[in-house]
Amino acid sequence: MSKKIPIAKDINENQSHLTKKLGIGTSFDIGFREIILLDQKVQFYYVTGLCDTSIVVELLKKLTAINDDEPNKDKLPSIIENRLVHQQVERKYELNEVITQLLSGLIAVFVENCDYAFTVDVRNYPGRGPEEPDTEKVVRGSRDGYTENIIENTGLTRRRVRDERLRNQIFQVGERSKTDICISYIKDIADDGLVNTIIKEIKSIDIDGLAMADKTIEEYLVKQGANPFPLVRYTERPDVAANHLFEGHVLIMADTSPSMIITPTTYFHHVQHAEEYRQSPAVGSFIKWIRFIGIFASVFLLPFWLVLTMEPSLLPEALHFIGPNEVGNIPIVIQIIFADIGIELLRMAAIHTPTPLSTAMGLIAAVLIGQIAIDVGLFSAEVILYVAISAIGSYATPSYELSIANKINRVLLIIITALFGVKGLVIGFTLYVLHLTNTKSLNTPYLWPFIPFNGNALIQILFRFSVPMTKKRPSIVHPKNNYKQR
Amino acid sequence: MGAKKQLEQNKREKPASMLSRTLSTGFFGGIFWSFIAWIASYFHFTTVSPTTFIIRSWLDADWTNSWLADVLSILAVSVISLLVAMVYYVLLRKTRGLLPSILFGLALWGGLFYLLLPIFPNVKPLTQLDSDTIVTTICIFILYGLFIGYSISYEYLDSISKKNI
Repeated sequence: MSKKIPIAKDINENQSHLTKKLGIGTSFDIGFREIILLDQKVQFYYVTGLCDTSIVVELLKKLTAINDDEPNKDKLPSIIENRLVHQQVERKYELNEVITQLLSGLIAVFVENCDYAFTVDVRNYPGRGPEEPDTEKVVRGSRDGYTENIIENTGLTRRRVRDERLRNQIFQVGERSKTDICISYIKDIADDGLVNTIIKEIKSIDIDGLAMADKTIEEYLVKQGANPFPLVRYTERPDVAANHLFEGHVLIMADTSPSMIITPTTYFHHVQHAEEYRQSPAVGSFIKWIRFIGIFASVFLLPFWLVLTMEPSLLPEALHFIGPNEVGNIPIVIQIIFADIGIELLRMAAIHTPTPLSTAMGLIAAVLIGQIAIDVGLFSAEVILYVAISAIGSYATPSYELSIANKINRVLLIIITALFGVKGLVIGFTLYVLHLTNTKSLNTPYLWPFIPFNGNALIQILFRFSVPMTKKRPSIVHPKNNYKQR
Repeated sequence: MGAKKQLEQNKREKPASMLSRTLSTGFFGGIFWSFIAWIASYFHFTTVSPTTFIIRSWLDADWTNSWLADVLSILAVSVISLLVAMVYYVLLRKTRGLLPSILFGLALWGGLFYLLLPIFPNVKPLTQLDSDTIVTTICIFILYGLFIGYSISYEYLDSISKKNI
């Protein structure tokens, strides 16, 4: 942090300071304008890309009218303060503070013979309006989503939580980027310990810039290490965010990112989706179960099928038809891994490919590669089937991060199964569960409420109950108030 | 501070609630992991299943090979698990971390397959079991012990410390 420089009475001194520091004249996007009011210099500094021109023009009109209306030269600073017709006007006595605000889009006004400057919030950030987030679509319900603008985002949350006890605390992180980070929680529900831990972690971040906003914050907050599982949940839906606030979670949002971080998070936060809560309880439970089956299949189906093909004697009599009818030219495990890599390649390609081309690409992939690979004897048909099922299972995982973590685990399980057969699969499964149990996110056991077991909470996850029936907040967030109606 | 005392998270869990939690953990753990064990035996990962121990050791009727026997033995395991959970609660609830509960599971496995084996005439001695069966049963017992043990000690820790952050 550079040392504090008080604003000088001599306006030329301020000007030379600012010109040098900001590189006015070198950087074309920093604007400077000087007008003369009652024979005294008044200077404006602004960033062209971040100011709303119409407001600035309005301010200038009001100010230049001073020359016609006001006779008293001595009171110029207070006249100007009065005439800055905007609700957010502040006096600043310190140059670096002015520079920070100037660079976030406020306009700075310096007056001759005055040892403070005014900053007026005329920000207008380039950005999009609230849109439905691509990754969390629902059939019914609100279609607004968070945007890249932190102010709009707090507004979207406020609209759903008009509680006087909602707190939006803002911090600036990053020596150079000075990114705004906001943590939101409801004061009399969220656990003080959790809030304080998060504030402490955020304040201790020492970095030059947060270009990757929320992701960088996450990495400082939870010590991820080599663990592939997502330790926080993201959402771009204000209704999901508000719901978690009511439950006692703490949200972290970073400017320039539409993704809110929800803390604390468990594994089971990643397997739920807003859609389940937009349908009737029975339908919601049904969707949940189908989804759970899909997620389970995405991890365990392939290694399980592999072990059955390696040792057909394992199959119970009713299931003897399982397993490839003809021995292929390539070992099954190699086929599985190749097919899995192929699907992964397709997925990556589909992300970068423009939409019109990706349809064609899908056709090539499905018809040509799949069918022809079977015809030429590269793959057996059953491999394609099971790889496809587990790929669909990964796509049905609501959390993109979890689906990729599960994919890595699937490959590991396949390899260990191929090496050690039944023992490999069983030990792999055990290690998977042990690893998840051992994982903690902000001191929250990751596999809660399964291990450690909490019957009520587990039933809430396995089945969707109607909202009037769910009276208690989840105990894992240690809410100060366990009952929802209070 | 006076008002804060009223908050529920600051109240100590009553022993009765702790006890019912322990019992429900045991019961559910019994159902779930014996069900997993049954699946493992259905796919011949292991030659022994809950049914082998609980029903086929005493009875030799036809119905012991039906699904009814499996359901009954799963229920029996969950009732026995109530006892297992109580034992863990009494002896080991103050332990921390995963290791004590994993060792607890291993100890249960050792007790069943080594010490108690003479009670079950139908189960082959350890040396005659195939390696798949041994590995599978050990793993299931580890997870079973983890489930019961870690849940109880976490619950206990949670109830004595107002918050665990």
